[in-house]
Amino acid sequence: MAFKDHRDFFEVLERENELARVKKEVDWDGEAGAISRKTFEHEGPALLFEKIKGYPEGYRISNGTSGTWSRVALSMMLPKNTPVRKIYKEYEERIDIKIPPKIVKKANAPCKENILLGKKVDLNEFPAPMVHEGDGGRYIGTWDVVVNKDPETNWTNWGMYRFMVHTKNWLTGWPQSTSQLAFIMKKSYLPYNKPMPIAVVIGTDPLSHIVATAGIKTFEDEADHAGGLRGEPVDLVKCETSDLLVPAHAEIVIEGELMPDQIAPDGPFGEYPGYRSGTMCAGVAVKVKAITYRSKPIVTMIALGTPPDDSSIAASLTAAVAMKKGLLRHGVPVTDVYVPPEGVTHLIVIGVTKGGAETARKVLDYFTLRRVMTNKHIIVDADVDVFNMAEVLHCFATRCHPGRGILYEWYEGRANSLTPFYSPEERKKLKGVSIAFDSTWPPEWEKEIVPIKASFKTIFTKETIDKVNRNWESYGIKI
Amino acid sequence: MKEWQTFVRKFSDMKEGKRELFIKDLSPGKTKYNTKHVLAKVSKSKKTLKNPDILWVRGESGEKAPDPWYLTIEQELEEFVPGKPWEDVLEAVEKKERSRGVGGT
Repeated sequence: MAFKDHRDFFEVLERENELARVKKEVDWDGEAGAISRKTFEHEGPALLFEKIKGYPEGYRISNGTSGTWSRVALSMMLPKNTPVRKIYKEYEERIDIKIPPKIVKKANAPCKENILLGKKVDLNEFPAPMVHEGDGGRYIGTWDVVVNKDPETNWTNWGMYRFMVHTKNWLTGWPQSTSQLAFIMKKSYLPYNKPMPIAVVIGTDPLSHIVATAGIKTFEDEADHAGGLRGEPVDLVKCETSDLLVPAHAEIVIEGELMPDQIAPDGPFGEYPGYRSGTMCAGVAVKVKAITYRSKPIVTMIALGTPPDDSSIAASLTAAVAMKKGLLRHGVPVTDVYVPPEGVTHLIVIGVTKGGAETARKVLDYFTLRRVMTNKHIIVDADVDVFNMAEVLHCFATRCHPGRGILYEWYEGRANSLTPFYSPEERKKLKGVSIAFDSTWPPEWEKEIVPIKASFKTIFTKETIDKVNRNWESYGIKI
Repeated sequence: MKEWQTFVRKFSDMKEGKRELFIKDLSPGKTKYNTKHVLAKVSKSKKTLKNPDILWVRGESGEKAPDPWYLTIEQELEEFVPGKPWEDVLEAVEKKERSRGVGGT
């Protein structure tokens, strides 16, 4: 059975030695973020800070619940040592299954245990962390699920976007202007100067958060796919101030309206590429109308930064599988796609059955036609294990021709402004460039002129390989 | 002396004079980092202002300017400025400053 909420996942994390409960009082102002960052950088456990300075007993902050492959495997009910390739495969199979959500009554929704409406709304009552020193403010929405809906098609979008406490009853945030949230706002609300209802959901079941990072197709409800990934429906409940449906077992739900004609500063914030770059003051403002929450609420945090963390791990999985499907639809003969967490979705490895310039062009076209979140694409032959970065680097170093194997494409209006190497002007114009490194043997080369990889598996006869393997112990060599 | 913080793109964007600013309250407690939108007199020197507060300035990457500025708040404004989502807030504030006939020197 899938995890219902954030809390029952902790029980498994604890049993599997994947959780540290921090009982010492910790300051939300930088200290919790610093502890979490250090823990990420040592690939340490998920954290539950149980005593937060200035907040009532039981008000907690968590960090890193999906910050390693082991914890992602556990969230999918797989053994914690499941190989990355197997996690990808399992996700790929499950994510296309749609299981519609189950709508539950308010009385059965733990997120309705406490309700603050109107003037009683005060975001300061929750221990939102000041994640990094120098951020624009306290980010209450980092590892979240942000819900909005297109009234014209009834499509409900889930995404993971940052949201900051602006005042006691205003949030500011930065869903990218090319995001699906922005698409709905620009399509169905801005032309009519209407505020858009949104809900920032904090701390729900682990797979709903992972699905919120996924590139699910436009007009498809992430809640259905979360059901497929979980193997059972997500319980949803209606918001207090809008008809949005939100995960019923969430820790905190912030209901508000994204304003069509009012803005306020968001950011800067130490973001998923591993830098705090110049993305600030170009987001959205949300007037908060209600907050519903479980008793003893947990604020979920990702102390985002250099990989690995929840973002680089979750996006590695969800982005890669979406890219593989997209590339196949685009006619690229893909074997597998790997998004190494260290490359923070800027660097993508694509395995193909047939390489060459034509394939490289198709790959680059696919990645640059719409909004562009990636910029470096290494295309490798099928003999290379895309999940093995040592093999990928060797292939890139030895097969990519610097003169004819590198293609690039400039574009404007759809680049990823979080990419640190873009200039302030490029970020503002969303102007960018993407590159494909064709690291495949030219398909027109005759078989007999293709260099043979001098590895144990490839440069000896089967007879020799079998003989060496059979006799290995008798050689007295330990490897 | 109360302490505040504001963000600019570049340190050189910070100007003296009567300014419209979003500022963050740095007083300890639950409301630390809450934002106020104000009209204020801003100066590099505390001597030119009456009962000034400290204003720390950070750049767009969060880098803190080494020396503080000073401000005296004259008026609190609404939590927002007029503008469309994803528009540049700092440019919108500048526009408002021009329409009010204020702005840095």
